[in-house]
Amino acid sequence: MLRSKSIKGRLIATVVVSQALLAAGLLFAGVFYTRRRLVSTLDAGLQARAMSVAALVRYTEDASGNVYFDDSLMPRSLDPDHPDFFAVWTERSGLLTRSSNWPAGLEIPAGPDLHWDLTWAHVTYRVWRISHVPVLDREEGQSFRPQDLTIVYAAPLIQVHEQVRAAGVFIALASLALLGATFLLALYGIRRGLLPLQRLAKQAALVSAHNWELRLPTDAEETTELRPLTQSMITMLARLERSFVQQREFLGNAAHELKTPVAVLKSTLQSLLHRPRSSEEYRAGVQESLEDLGRLERLLQWMLRLARAEQWAHGALRRDIELIDITETCEEAVERIRSLAQSRHTRIHLATNGKVLFRADPEDLQLVWQNLLENAVRYSSEGGVVEVAVTRTDGGPARIIFEDHGVGIPADELPHVFERFYRGAWVSHRESAGRSVWWNHYCRKCPQPRHTHDRRTPVERQQLNSYWLHPFRFS
Amino acid sequence: MRVLIVEDEPRLAENIARSLRESAGYAVDVAADGQEGWFLAESNTYDVVLLDLMLPQMDGMQLLTRIRQAGQLTPVLVLTARDEKESVVALLNAGADDYLTKPFDLGELLARTKALIRRGKGQPSPVLVIGDLQLNTVNRTVQRSGRTIMLTAMEYRVLEYLAHRPGAVVSKTELLEHLYDYNWEKFSNVIEVYISGLRRKLDNGSDQQLIHTVRGQGYILQD
Repeated sequence: MLRSKSIKGRLIATVVVSQALLAAGLLFAGVFYTRRRLVSTLDAGLQARAMSVAALVRYTEDASGNVYFDDSLMPRSLDPDHPDFFAVWTERSGLLTRSSNWPAGLEIPAGPDLHWDLTWAHVTYRVWRISHVPVLDREEGQSFRPQDLTIVYAAPLIQVHEQVRAAGVFIALASLALLGATFLLALYGIRRGLLPLQRLAKQAALVSAHNWELRLPTDAEETTELRPLTQSMITMLARLERSFVQQREFLGNAAHELKTPVAVLKSTLQSLLHRPRSSEEYRAGVQESLEDLGRLERLLQWMLRLARAEQWAHGALRRDIELIDITETCEEAVERIRSLAQSRHTRIHLATNGKVLFRADPEDLQLVWQNLLENAVRYSSEGGVVEVAVTRTDGGPARIIFEDHGVGIPADELPHVFERFYRGAWVSHRESAGRSVWWNHYCRKCPQPRHTHDRRTPVERQQLNSYWLHPFRFS
Repeated sequence: MRVLIVEDEPRLAENIARSLRESAGYAVDVAADGQEGWFLAESNTYDVVLLDLMLPQMDGMQLLTRIRQAGQLTPVLVLTARDEKESVVALLNAGADDYLTKPFDLGELLARTKALIRRGKGQPSPVLVIGDLQLNTVNRTVQRSGRTIMLTAMEYRVLEYLAHRPGAVVSKTELLEHLYDYNWEKFSNVIEVYISGLRRKLDNGSDQQLIHTVRGQGYILQD
């Protein structure tokens, strides 16, 4: 219950330790105060007894001024086991009398008033010396000079000590009882106080990959100390859910994109095995299967690249991005598509106005440019022109424009460009399978480089057959 | 039998078509997009349509809806990469008769295609029986009175089509439409040649003729 890693244990331990310190303080103060009061009372009693002893000193009847001690009225000691002891000195003749139990060898000279503690025969005594006490037995008209007395009176402190101990024990027991009660009260209070946290934990335990809703208990929402926690949990769950949805989408897209090439490969091989064939037919079938495998491999490479990009986007993978020239990546992409363009008698015109430096992965960018260029070439009428322009105004955003004069993307289909499985009516075959996944995710999830203000790459319709990309805005 | 494949992945379409031709002896037409698929479905008569969902020009769902709206009862087998329950329910509600998710087994595709054709013609059993004639559509064998009859591929296809519609008059045009694909040059005398060959083989050793000619209308297969 009081484990160091338990909040409840720590709170209870704090309460108990503070209460114990308080009890110890109280005990010390109580004992100190009680002893002080008792000793003070004893002191008063000692002074009174000393005066009583003084009252027993009388003048002799011969008017000589001599005194004697009349011990017939001497009061009894309070503690018969350890009787008081005393001594009386007169001004003229010195020591007048001493009690019979005066400790042997104890010499106390006359002097000013003084009190102290004295240990004799293992017993502590409180000793008072009172000086200049006049002999009380004085009659009016006496001719002799009156004498003053010095009285030393001592009484044992045993009873005081016993009373102090009794008071200490009482205070200690009372403190312990209070400590126990405080412990129980603290336990109850803390348990009750932590109930909202337990309810919150129960609700949090119901959250899963299939149920992201966190139903916050009312008391958890209303508890000031839990509010930052609940807010953080809500934010964290929202982020996690987003991440799960993205992963599910990616897996779904990946599986979907893999199905067709796998279906082609499988059907090719099954078709080959369906009946005995000539070696030429087998050779052609194996060749086709190899081509299918090549497509599959490219698709997997794109997916791996996408997975890496996602890791990079989420900070799970370090990536040193170099400063590259966007114009150069466009030129390389144009070169790679040129043979396709030539086969379709399509010209690609690239317009640039100098270097446009940017921090990005050149291969990623080239993949995007190639995808756009390939689409532009494929969906342009044969003999057409595809125009690529890389422009940048001073201090403004860099703008990369891909413009074709083909079928274009109908306005009503533009909002669906990034939709999963969406295939526009302008798409005529599946050569671009897989790249759509890459492009879709890349544009959605690839983090924007440092010098950009745009969170997402927008595709903006300019004319019927063209679209602009302006993903890069330099600060 | 004549099958329409609407699939934009040319290699997959080619493999399916080859398999249907080689294994079942079907005539196969291939459309690479939804528009072409609709054109073929509208202008020809098919015994089954194999339809991919994700198609350019007009997606598979739209084409399926259009086929059903046109009142065509041709069985439609949908080939889809999506196997979510909602997607399947939507497909079946739109008028699909069956579906296969990619990547599929060609053998299963063939079996389902044959089953759909049989059901489409009211023949639930793969063994068609007309009198003492038995035609097994699975292993493509023909027996009459326990005697195995060897037929050419084309003769079998003609007989199988007639056997799917026993007692009904089947015109030469219908036979041509269901036995030849779109690219084939259609000549009705080809049918007469096959009918003649079939009669000779089927009626050999039997005194009862199975294929009858209805003058000016066509042929009828009945006991």
